[in-house]
Amino acid sequence: MKLKEISRPLSLKVQTAAEKLDTEVTGGYAADLLSCVMAKAQAGNVWVTLQGHPNIVAVASLLNLAGVIITEGMAPDPATLEKAEEQGIPILTTPLTTFTVVGKLFALGVRGVDEIQPDG
Amino acid sequence: MRELSLHILDAMENSLEAGATLIEVIIEEDLAADWLTITVRDNGRGMSEAQLARVFDSFFTTRSTRHVGLGIPLFNAAAERCNGKLAVTSQPGKGTTLQATFQHSHIDRAPLGDIEGTLLTIILCGSCDVHYVHRVGGREFAFHTADMRAELGEIPLTRPEVRHWLEEFITEGEAGLR
Repeated sequence: MKLKEISRPLSLKVQTAAEKLDTEVTGGYAADLLSCVMAKAQAGNVWVTLQGHPNIVAVASLLNLAGVIITEGMAPDPATLEKAEEQGIPILTTPLTTFTVVGKLFALGVRGVDEIQPDG
Repeated sequence: MRELSLHILDAMENSLEAGATLIEVIIEEDLAADWLTITVRDNGRGMSEAQLARVFDSFFTTRSTRHVGLGIPLFNAAAERCNGKLAVTSQPGKGTTLQATFQHSHIDRAPLGDIEGTLLTIILCGSCDVHYVHRVGGREFAFHTADMRAELGEIPLTRPEVRHWLEEFITEGEAGLR
């Protein structure tokens, strides 16, 4: 599933790196503690969080995540958007809560790292 | 991070990488003023002004294996989340000091966590001395590994009996503050 096949049905607002919406999404991960994300999220995952500071771009870039969904209408810092554009990391925003976003992602068939079989 | 001690571990690892021979860790819990202050001070090679200006930037790192450095940015984010901040001062050739402040009672303040394990990891892995001070209200637990080494003479801190004693000493010292 491509990132745009998630952003459209969830009405996510694409804030950065619109050219990367064809990125293949391998799964999903949700947490607000960056250290947990660094430990668990896998390359190609879409990450759901309400953090908006520039460190999220560094984490997403380090792990090669497909994109970051910022929930609850949190406005990412201008520095975050700037850095994400520069690094080609799609940042998508929504007024929905993390719980609701994850539920909708699940309904679309996006699975968590603990449910994805090694053979895909 | 789930525990503040993980930030301390990360900072102490940075000190070791900077070639420090002494790391001071001071944890001050001022319950009356509702502040928790963590200071990690080393005598390593320190940083230039140019490096220091970029330590809060998560896309700055001195290592070549990857392009991001999140230790200090995450420590800072943890402090800021709790109405505090992280201050970093450094002098080339003299050393680096990190001082993080937290509102003690802040709901998002992570617990100190496994400080015993953090201290033992650093003390037992290297030749670096550790001076540790932990104050809670009026009580204090403190030690300096240089004093221990002087007492032990030729016997290394890593010797199983010594290591076991050290583990108990730190665990009991910390328990006495609770």
